[in-house]
Amino acid sequence: MSLARRKLLQLIGLLGAPTVFLLVFFFGPLLIMLVYSLLTPGLYGGVDWIFSHLNYGRILGWADTRYEKFDPVYIAIFLRSLKLAALTVVASLAVCYPAAFWISRMRPGMRDFAIFLVTLPFFVSLIVRLFAWVLILRPTGFLNQGLMGLGLTGAPIEFLYTDFAVILGMTYVFIPFMFLPLYGSIEKLDLAQIEASSDLGATRFQTFRKVILPATLPGIVGGSVITFIPALGNFIVPSVLGGAKVLMIGNLIEQQFLSARNWPFGSALAMLVMSAVLILLIAQFRLAKKEAQS
Amino acid sequence: MTPFDTYPAGVFPAGLQDRTPMSSPLEILDARKSFRTPEGGTMTALDGISLKLASAEFVTLLGPSGCGKTTLLRTISGFETLDAGEVLIDGTAVTQMPAHRRPVNTVFQRYALFGHMSVARNVGYALEIAGRDKREIRARVGEMLELVGLAGMEKRAIQQLSGGQQQRVALARALAAKPKLLLLDEPLSALDKNLRQKMQQELKALQRELGIGFIFVTHDQEEALTMSDRIAVLAHGQIQQIGAPTELYQTPANLFTADFLGESNLLPVKVAAGRAGLCDGQSFATARPAGEATLLLRPEALSVTPPEDHALSFTGTIRETYYTGTDHQIALETPAHGTIHALLRSGSALPGLGAEMTLHAPAQGLHLIDEVAA
Repeated sequence: MSLARRKLLQLIGLLGAPTVFLLVFFFGPLLIMLVYSLLTPGLYGGVDWIFSHLNYGRILGWADTRYEKFDPVYIAIFLRSLKLAALTVVASLAVCYPAAFWISRMRPGMRDFAIFLVTLPFFVSLIVRLFAWVLILRPTGFLNQGLMGLGLTGAPIEFLYTDFAVILGMTYVFIPFMFLPLYGSIEKLDLAQIEASSDLGATRFQTFRKVILPATLPGIVGGSVITFIPALGNFIVPSVLGGAKVLMIGNLIEQQFLSARNWPFGSALAMLVMSAVLILLIAQFRLAKKEAQS
Repeated sequence: MTPFDTYPAGVFPAGLQDRTPMSSPLEILDARKSFRTPEGGTMTALDGISLKLASAEFVTLLGPSGCGKTTLLRTISGFETLDAGEVLIDGTAVTQMPAHRRPVNTVFQRYALFGHMSVARNVGYALEIAGRDKREIRARVGEMLELVGLAGMEKRAIQQLSGGQQQRVALARALAAKPKLLLLDEPLSALDKNLRQKMQQELKALQRELGIGFIFVTHDQEEALTMSDRIAVLAHGQIQQIGAPTELYQTPANLFTADFLGESNLLPVKVAAGRAGLCDGQSFATARPAGEATLLLRPEALSVTPPEDHALSFTGTIRETYYTGTDHQIALETPAHGTIHALLRSGSALPGLGAEMTLHAPAQGLHLIDEVAA
């Protein structure tokens, strides 16, 4: 057996199983969703195998039949989801960037412990943690009791079931996602470069803008992307902390599949989210390539 | 512009002659700085250091690690603040001035180049920060790269450069904003030996060409001797001695300097009635006052044939010899003085290991230090 052939067999042996797994259980369901999004909903759930583009028409504006009508509310919900996800990214960045800086300057023992603390929430169920936030944010909750106890407010403030609660909850959930890539790039930052910048006449702000920020940009972009994507499609946080008032695209998809039993329309909505994410990833990839070339 | 500038050198009004007409590029007055150690104690890094550059000199701060030389450099650049004392650059007190406003630039030990910027942006960084015109920056960057021998490399990425080239970029970057003083923090330590020697010569030439003061930090005594106009030998946070390389090498003021700069034979002597006596009875004439002292005898001062002003002789057995190409290094085991190190020009015939040999020292090569080894 030739060496090249042996290498090829080794490669197939190592990568064969995961490849088959991904094809069947990752691309398979995606393909089913794509096909379903172009079919007609069955009367009692499931699908009828009749081609229809009206699922997309209902979202994007050309559906105008008795049962399948365009409604701008879907786009509005999608845009709100984009907004909430973007604000979640901004809030996570605002929390994680200084934290990562601070932790990266700790002495080694403390540093490892702090990183462990950041990932600690993963050890408790997401649902339990979100209900803890309900207890904190509700009108008779810890936060309102505290504010009223201090005399800062007379009546309880509506925190729960607002955009604020959803952004807060998602930020809380996705902080480790943002923190770890950020920490990776901040930890590698050469302190001597900061001194060099200052030595060459830059103020702290100029040093941040021209040296620190560009040097940590890969971490910022990486953390933002892997925070934004799950935040955009998230439906657990908005359903627990947003209630019926803050509907995100993830909740809408969930409703179509589980309550309305309109699988084709749910699939079409899911495809919309997917394409938005795909566009984002392609843009990031292009940017990274351009960055690497310059 | 000081009032003295209007007078030609040497004709200042009476009473002002002792004042320098132009301000010194760098003056440090009684600098003190201590750090708290992690164990809770204090470590004195600078213990009352005063230093003044007479003109655009090449001054080397030389000393073992932990002697305070890097701390001293960092108080000049502004990265450390003094507990007490003053730093004046070009006659202006900058003791409280933050680093980014000081008219000095630094070449860092590991260069600290900005990895996400091209060579041109690195070199032009100080000018970009100062908000200079783009065309002016481009011209200055080109000029600087030519100066350090990297003409045409503007667009290269830092990662594409060799260590020596990065060194040159760091140098160009530090010089681009025309600093009044250039600080160099062991910049050559990461280079291999040949490149290091080449850079030493280039740095010295560059300093002469630019006419600004260079403060160079190193622990390499050879480097210090090669490049400097003056060397300040530091130990324990104090300047042990400052002077021209030849002065420090030939007539060190104390045992530390004698030992730190070059190879040395240090022999205890007793001075009485104008003569210094060794423990084996030999003696030579000296102008020193009576008391105990130490004789410094450089290995290269010793010779096989007695010199004209022959003063001392040492007889012993050859313990070790090393051939370096230009010289033979010899360790001579003597009964009275222990091991005496000698450096003989190659070409002279040498007896083999274990053979007996007599070495001679001229009166001119003898230097007494008013200090006795503990």
